[in-house]
Amino acid sequence: MFDQVLFYISAFLTVFGAILVVLERNLMHSCIFLLTSLMGVAGLYLTLGAEFVAATQLVVYVGGVVILMLFAVMLTGGGLEEIKKNIVSVDLAPSMGNLITYFWGALSAVVFLLVGGKILTSIYSSAVIADSPKLFIKTVEEIGTKLLTDHVLMFEMSSVLLLGALIGAAVISRPSKVNIFQKGEDDVSH
Amino acid sequence: MNDTIVSYISSLANIEFSPLFVFLIFLVAILIIVNVMALIGGLGTYAERKISADIQMRQGPNRVGPYGLLQFLADGVKMIMKEDIIPTESNKLLYTIAPVLCLSGILATFTVLPFSSGFILSDLNIGIFYLLGVSSLVGVGIFLGGYSSNSKWSMLGGMRGASQIISYEVPVTLSILAIVLIAGGLSFKTLVSGQTGFPNGWYIFHNPFTFIAFFVYFISALAEANRAPFDLPEAESELVSGYHTEYSGMRFAFFALAEYMEVFVLCGVASALFLGGYKVPFDLGGDTIIGQFLQIGSFFTKTLLLYYVVIWVRWTLPRLRVDQLMTVCWKYLTPIALFNLIGTAVWIWAFDGKSILSLILSIGASGSAGGH
Repeated sequence: MFDQVLFYISAFLTVFGAILVVLERNLMHSCIFLLTSLMGVAGLYLTLGAEFVAATQLVVYVGGVVILMLFAVMLTGGGLEEIKKNIVSVDLAPSMGNLITYFWGALSAVVFLLVGGKILTSIYSSAVIADSPKLFIKTVEEIGTKLLTDHVLMFEMSSVLLLGALIGAAVISRPSKVNIFQKGEDDVSH
Repeated sequence: MNDTIVSYISSLANIEFSPLFVFLIFLVAILIIVNVMALIGGLGTYAERKISADIQMRQGPNRVGPYGLLQFLADGVKMIMKEDIIPTESNKLLYTIAPVLCLSGILATFTVLPFSSGFILSDLNIGIFYLLGVSSLVGVGIFLGGYSSNSKWSMLGGMRGASQIISYEVPVTLSILAIVLIAGGLSFKTLVSGQTGFPNGWYIFHNPFTFIAFFVYFISALAEANRAPFDLPEAESELVSGYHTEYSGMRFAFFALAEYMEVFVLCGVASALFLGGYKVPFDLGGDTIIGQFLQIGSFFTKTLLLYYVVIWVRWTLPRLRVDQLMTVCWKYLTPIALFNLIGTAVWIWAFDGKSILSLILSIGASGSAGGH
């Protein structure tokens, strides 16, 4: 019963948050609704028994990504003035195209929906939903073992990627001392 | 299933509870914990004022109740009666949601805080990781509080708070990882049960690296809870009072309550990971109800002693500058924490996970045996 209640709450948070992210005109508010949606996803992981993934979701997205987004929106001033758009966030006068582009866009959307629906129905009809997922098995050990045995190459590659990102951030944020000195010398010589 | 308060009670009374009763027991336990924690948060403000008065040779609050003990209740009533002002130029939704985010992030951490071996709401397998995850909500709350007020002071305070909390999460996590390596698990019961009731079995004295890790953790925890000497987000001399400058009434009280409860949580984690947690000497009382109360007493004694140290530090040390704050984090604490992590790993590999005291004792024993 608890699983059911937890699932419905998490699913509601996820879907409701995701819809509001799109509909909200203030970017800052969108970030907060994204936060709700991400927490709902963490709850969904919990109902599946993947508690480590749920906690990682919290640590990475709530603690890192959302704060990063909030900072980015704040520093670019996106949250202050509301963008004047209609409810589906499309300019009333199309700035990116005309009737023909919208026609082709709608057509391709319909085609994609049909193809996706065809694929998804076969998945859903063949999927067997377990009666009750095994809650709270020790996932941490399994993930650790798998990461350091079967998927050690991926693990090391992702660590190299993160190191690269770290060095890149350090390089970008580093004040370029050489240019400052040159500028100063130029000022003195003039 | 993992251990919960319900599984403890059912093992004690040898009854299998129906889902409704499980729900009710959780409800009562949560009610108790939230109220006790709110009380501790309230008494934290009282303790802060009283201890600061003691340090500065003043009297402190002494009018309401014996020794001014009920001062926090009077403050609470005052907070509720005050007008709730929302600045007209503020972002209303974010302004109202920020204190709630702060408070809910802290309240969520009480799920895994080990008050005793039985009285723990849910001993999740990922206990400490979950705690770090939900407590990061506080950073979002502080940042939003600062941003949505639409005031320069609040904005600077919020930005400082968010950057500080994100930065100091790194040394906190690294020094916790050193303990996780020794204990071999993330759940709080695993972490605590590797220790004993006496200091010789605590993880702080396990090896030299964990001894350093405790201090790294404690300093970083001070910074994560925005406590002095790292209280830059609410630096009175520069930023009026930082991210909660515009807040009044109960919303302000939520911020204050969240801060004091966060200090309690971080001290509780420190005592659980490094100082033996709820372990009682000789395992007095065992698994009975009396034993549980002794364990709760042991946990609260250690935690509240650390709480005292936090307040003591606040009223004796001057505040850091922003650049000094970041220097301390990235140039000192993080490398030291990394060194500790590697050192602990090497220690476990070299000495088979034995503590330094047991090694000394075994050397002494073999030495005396050789003498004969």
